[in-house]
Amino acid sequence: MANYEYRGQMLSIPDNDSEYRGYFEAAGEHKLVVKKCGACGLLRGEPGPACPWCPSLDWEWVEVSGKGTIYSYQIVAHTVVPALKDLAPFAIVLVELDEQSGKPTEEDGLRIVANLLTDDMKPEKEENVAIGARVEVIFDDEPDGISIPHFKLSGEPPKGETWQHVF
Amino acid sequence: METSLVGKYAIVGIGETEYSRASGRTTRAMGAMAIRRAMDDAGLDSTQVDGMLSYHSGDSTPSTSIMYDLGLKPNFYMDCSGGGSSSEALIGLAMGAIEAGMCDTVAIFRSMNGYSNFRIGGTGARAASGISGMDLMKRPYGLISAVQQFAFNFTKHMATYGVKSEDLAHIKVAHSNHASNNPKAMMKQRVTVQDVMDSRWIIRPVAHLLDCCLETDNATCVIVTSAERAKNLKQTPAHIIGVQGRGTKPGGDFHFQHGNMGRVAGHYVGPRIFDMAGVKHEDIDVTGCYDAFTYTVLLQLESYGWCKPGEGKDYVKSGVINLGGKVPNNTSGGHLCEAYTHGMNMVIENVRQLRGTVDDYCPNAANGEHTYDYSEGGCRQVKDAEVSMNMGWGTPAVGSALIMRK
Repeated sequence: MANYEYRGQMLSIPDNDSEYRGYFEAAGEHKLVVKKCGACGLLRGEPGPACPWCPSLDWEWVEVSGKGTIYSYQIVAHTVVPALKDLAPFAIVLVELDEQSGKPTEEDGLRIVANLLTDDMKPEKEENVAIGARVEVIFDDEPDGISIPHFKLSGEPPKGETWQHVF
Repeated sequence: METSLVGKYAIVGIGETEYSRASGRTTRAMGAMAIRRAMDDAGLDSTQVDGMLSYHSGDSTPSTSIMYDLGLKPNFYMDCSGGGSSSEALIGLAMGAIEAGMCDTVAIFRSMNGYSNFRIGGTGARAASGISGMDLMKRPYGLISAVQQFAFNFTKHMATYGVKSEDLAHIKVAHSNHASNNPKAMMKQRVTVQDVMDSRWIIRPVAHLLDCCLETDNATCVIVTSAERAKNLKQTPAHIIGVQGRGTKPGGDFHFQHGNMGRVAGHYVGPRIFDMAGVKHEDIDVTGCYDAFTYTVLLQLESYGWCKPGEGKDYVKSGVINLGGKVPNNTSGGHLCEAYTHGMNMVIENVRQLRGTVDDYCPNAANGEHTYDYSEGGCRQVKDAEVSMNMGWGTPAVGSALIMRK
């Protein structure tokens, strides 16, 4: 991989990027992947070089379902990125994936940052953004070959209570 | 825990440039001024400062330039990469350098054209830089500025405990009241809860514009030496009785992968520093919190145990953090209203509080004569301040702390 322009920003993913290259290569095939520890078998949401739990240096990429729940969010009313000004207001969500939720302790989970978009890659309406809402991964394909994972509302009923800010 | 250093070292000099958004000078010129002012404040000449420490985010000037400018010949210096919570950490490292026999007296400085050159909020150079490494999973989505980096933590906290944006506004109100009695403060005008709520949104639901600190051009300096040497210097020393540097919660940069989102580094740093200093919350007369945003104050007050998790919203509205309250917080106005200094001005303010010579509008403030009338344009000296605490924030996962005694 190499350099890509995405939303007016330059992304650099060199061949020696041992953390993130595989993540974006998989995204190019519309697969959401995480690293799995070769020793204890736990997954990790941040694709680092070692297992935060055991901490083995052995790992492999594994595909996950791409389904999850909004764990937290922020609505960007003002962005410092010029190319994103037309997108605002937009939601950035912290999604807890279904795999390994609440493990190895009840407060842990695989959490991925992305935008909450609709099928046409436009920002989801703010009134639909809520902690607890169910989401699934979608991929924003760029002409130069890179694909960026995002999430959209899946339409499934939430598993518990939802929360959203009210102003 | 080894406690033999308690009270053995002190902050003996403080200095700062004016706080502005158009310094018209280099970080080198400002750094030299802040150090020189701290030396004058302490009564130290160029032969007596033989250590230098600084921190930067690629936006400062090297110690090796300023040492020439001021005729210093350090026996020890380090320029450290780091942002918030470095202030307290470097005070501890200065003590270590002296204790190790590498030097005797250390000037710690931070110099930044944080508005006119390298905007700390990300506008300009930071937002225009290329994206690689761990930023690849954040910045393509528009997650870049500091207020965003920590926002997930606070949205989750709001959801867990029913905190409202209006609750945060009370922190800004308190700090603005304090700043109104600070001639140096960039934002001296007192604001109301409604003013904060009416200011434009930056990131919903965690920060309006007035919940955010003030990008500032400035340099600041504190000088650390032994309590023994301090006896021969000009000022009442602020003795360091507890210091912790950049303690972390699990996860580091990826803290949002692990644990309670509202539990920030203070949860881990707090017990260590209270144990080291041998004091309890009720012994502390004045605090400084790293108020990059109003929500960082609330999370720190809870995590350091000033109130229980979830009770911060009531605690900040109770009057306890106001001048005249039980434990006033950020009496200079802090980052929200005095200036953004990457943490230094809250330490400097607490040194002044312990000296009893806070530079408010009282006519004889420099002689320690204060009215203790905290109305607008009046006093901001805490009466009989004996013990102060600083809580430094790097990220939700990184924090430092400092406890000083008169």
